[in-house]
Parts: sequence; C-alpha cells; structure tokens
Amino acid sequence: MSFIECRNLHFSYGEETGEVLHGIDLDIQKGEFVALLGHNGCGKSTMAKLFNGMLVPNSGTVKVDGIDTGIEDLQIDVRRRVGLVQQNPDNQMVAGIVEEDVAFGPENLGIEPEEIRRRVDNALKAVGMYEYREHAPHKLSGGQKQRVAIAGVIAMETDCIVLDEPTAMLDPRGRQEVMDTITYLNREKGITIILITHYMDEAVRADRVVVMDGGRILTDGDPRTVFSQVELLKRHHLDVPQATELIYRLNAAGCSIPGMPLDEAECLSALKTYIGL
Amino acid sequence: MISDITMGQFFPGKSVVHRMDPRVKLCLTVFFIVMIFCAKNFVTMAITIAMCFAGIALSKVPMKLYMKSLKPILFIVAFTAILNLFYGTGEPLIAFGPVKITLNGILNSVMIAIRIVVLILISSILTFTTSPTQLTDAIERLLKPLGYLHIPVHEFAMMMTIALRFVPTLLEETEKIMAAQKARGADMESGGMIQRIRALIPVLIPLFVSAFRRAFDLATAMESRCYHGGDGRTKMKILKLGKIDLTTLISCVVFLGVFIVLNTVIPPIIR
Repeated sequence: MSFIECRNLHFSYGEETGEVLHGIDLDIQKGEFVALLGHNGCGKSTMAKLFNGMLVPNSGTVKVDGIDTGIEDLQIDVRRRVGLVQQNPDNQMVAGIVEEDVAFGPENLGIEPEEIRRRVDNALKAVGMYEYREHAPHKLSGGQKQRVAIAGVIAMETDCIVLDEPTAMLDPRGRQEVMDTITYLNREKGITIILITHYMDEAVRADRVVVMDGGRILTDGDPRTVFSQVELLKRHHLDVPQATELIYRLNAAGCSIPGMPLDEAECLSALKTYIGL
Repeated sequence: MISDITMGQFFPGKSVVHRMDPRVKLCLTVFFIVMIFCAKNFVTMAITIAMCFAGIALSKVPMKLYMKSLKPILFIVAFTAILNLFYGTGEPLIAFGPVKITLNGILNSVMIAIRIVVLILISSILTFTTSPTQLTDAIERLLKPLGYLHIPVHEFAMMMTIALRFVPTLLEETEKIMAAQKARGADMESGGMIQRIRALIPVLIPLFVSAFRRAFDLATAMESRCYHGGDGRTKMKILKLGKIDLTTLISCVVFLGVFIVLNTVIPPIIR
C-alpha cells in the first residue's frame, strides 16, 4: 500500500470556476521526494490542500496511510501524518517568538511539555535555526522564516511534508537555504517530501517529478525521463532546466550530444566530451 | 517612523524581571497602578515611585527606552496637568477674572502628572520584559475561572496572541504601501486634517485586503497544524512560581503594609 493514494480525484471550488482537477490518480511512497510541477492554475496548490484534508475531493478518494481524508473525525489523524508549508512565510506563523511558534503544533496535539521542548529543540536544529529560537519572526529573513515554518511541521513528527511553492517569495539565497533543508530532511531523516514548485532547477533535485497541466497529470517519472520529453513539455508551454534546454537546442541545430544533462556540471562534461576535450 | 513606537514592545533579556512569572508581573503592574493613585501624600508617593524605579533598574532595559515610551504621551500629561490647574478649590493664589489658580490646583496638577508618568513607566516595565506570548498566557491563566461561566477565555487569549504577532508585520506593510503610494504621487504630508485623513484611504484599503488574505492563510496554517480549540491543548512553557516571584510578592506585601500605615498617619496633601 502506498503512503498517499489518490484515486480518480475530481475537484471544483464552485459552479462558476468549473472543475480544477479532472480525475487524478497518484501514488506516493514513504520516503520519496516528489516534485509537483505545473503552471499557475493547473491545480497543483489544490493538490497540496487535498493531501492533508484541508480540501476534500468532490469525487474520488485521497487516502493517507490508509485513512480517508474525507472522514471529518479522522482529519486530525491525517494532519499528524502530513504537514503543510505554504508560500508566504509571514502568514503561517502564529506566535511572536520562534520557539513558541514551532511548539504550536505539538501543543495542539496535547503532548507533554518536556517532550515538546525536546521536539522543538531537535526541529530547530534540523533546519539550522536553533540559535534563533528566542528571536521574533519578523526580524528574520525570508529563508529563515520559511525554515522556521518547516521546523513547525517537523516538531509534529509528521511522516510527510507538503511544501506549496515554499521558495516563491524568497531571494536566491533564501531559496538555496530552503532547498538544502528539504533535501537534508528527505535524505537524512527519511521524511517524505512533496515539493510543489514552478522552478525546474528545484524539481531536478527530487527523486520523481510529476508534471500537471490543466487539472491532469501530464507525465510522471524520474527527472531525467521527464525532462528528456522536451517536445511534450514545450507543447504545454512548460520549461525544462536550462542545461537540458541548451543541449536540446544544440541537438536540434544538428549536433548529436548524447545523454540528457540536468544541471550545469553535467552539461559541461557532456559538452567537453562532445568537442573532445 | 512608525516603528519608532516603543510602547508595548518586548526587549528580550535575562534580568530578574524578565525571569519573573508573567502572572505575578501582571498582578503587580495593576497593584502599583492602583497604589500610585491611592497615594495621598508625598511620602507614600515617593516610596511608590522608588519601587517603580527599582523595577526599572532591575529590568536592565536602558532608561533611554523608557524615556522614549513616555514621549508620545507627554502631550496628554501636559494637557491634563494644565486642565487640573484651574480646577482647584480653596483660596486663589492668582486670579485672572473668572480663572483662578489655587495651591490645591497646583498640587493636584503636579500629582496627576506624576501619576500618569508612573503609570506609563510601570506598564512599560511589564511590556518591555514580558514577551507577548507570555503576557497572553498569563492573562489566559488568570482569567481561567471565567471559563466556568462559559466565557471563551482560550479563544480570547489566542486572538490576542495573533493580533500582537501581526502588529509588526502589518506596520511594515503599512510603510511599504505608503512608500508605494508616494511613489505614485500620493501626497500625505500636506493639507488640513481632513485632507490628510482622506489621503490615508489608498493606504488603508490595500492594507485591509492583504490582512484578509493573511487571515485566510493563517487559518489554513493553524488547521494544518492540528489546531482545534483549547481543549486537550498542552503548553511547552509551564508557568511556575519561583524564588524570585516569592521574594517579590513578600516585599510587595511589606510595601503594602508600610504604604497603608504612612498613608493614614501622614495627612494628605490635598484636603
């Protein structure tokens, strides 16, 4: 059984806006790092809220660890397993002090004070924000705030973290910090990550890329397989990583460079081999 | 400019006052405010002021900040003092037609000025040394008995925590919107009172719209983190009365005794 099972999801926000998702089937395994890609309005943020039961599908089911998110009484159990980090770091902090904000989730779960203390300290250390535990959130940088928000989810000891465009409002440095934190949590702590993004360079770091377009899944696979389908992605006006784009264009212009590089280093070595350096 | 407001701000530290239980601090603040208004002669007033300054010294927060917190209310102090000057009873010292100034009037206005200043200083000690969360936590604990009367104490405390948390965020945003509107040619500094208030409308509307958006995001974030009201909720930091609190409470009881004795023995300044 998969950790998250989506079966034939249909969803609409109301009559006027029409259906946003048209029959999505998706399985996510424990420990996976999945990037969910797509345009604005393709339904990826809706997916984020469906994963932890903030939204319930009109038809079809979402099961987290075997629990149906549609059952109201079990929604707390779903949210103990799947945490959500949103785009705007300012809008998801409840308390005026970093450590108290991180403690908010565990406090809601009714955990003993000593245990909360332990979890908060560990969570802040995991995201590298332990030294800032007594600071006020509004004095932190965007990347730091977003890491605190992630710590708030870790402290609940969820198995899975869904991040809905966590880097969209950050500068390049903050983006790097958040991406490093996410990768660390997946690789070292075994937390399942679902990263919703429209940055291709971030998607490349995942184990698996799911591309959505117009409320449907366009393609699904490991980054190399997905991004080698350059024509398909282009047809749906989606970008590919810059390195892939360069090689694709060179090949289209008559070169025959083998492989499908995903980042600068790979691209460089592919080019070096091609020109015989 | 807006961020210059020091009143109600928290300055993290490790002083004795910082470490004191917020419930005790809150009660003592109310206690000393009542005391300064009960002081009828200069002796009791002086010892209350002395206690207030002892608190300031122990808080280890620079005096400069206390002075800064007084700045915005100087006008109110001056205004009430001057007003009180003319409402004294007894023999007039100076009289300009119907307006007369009496000794009682002068004493009264001096006392009222001192009282307001001390009131602000005492509440500043509380807000400077207590984090907003601690403060709301203390209010929640102290008001807990009201919960039995079905008054939503937890919800009230949560609302306060969130409101205080968003004060700096919204102030920052106000400044940004003002700058953006100024860049588009909005004039906010000239004109009369009404014109200036009108100039604020293009600032307030975007501010409100964004506040609602923030509220929506925050609700999602809170629900995602399993918030389901105050039932079954625990706290990471449990409030516990320590040695400092007991010592302070005992000295305040002694102070109260001395205060009552002196206040009755020494005749009041204003008869």
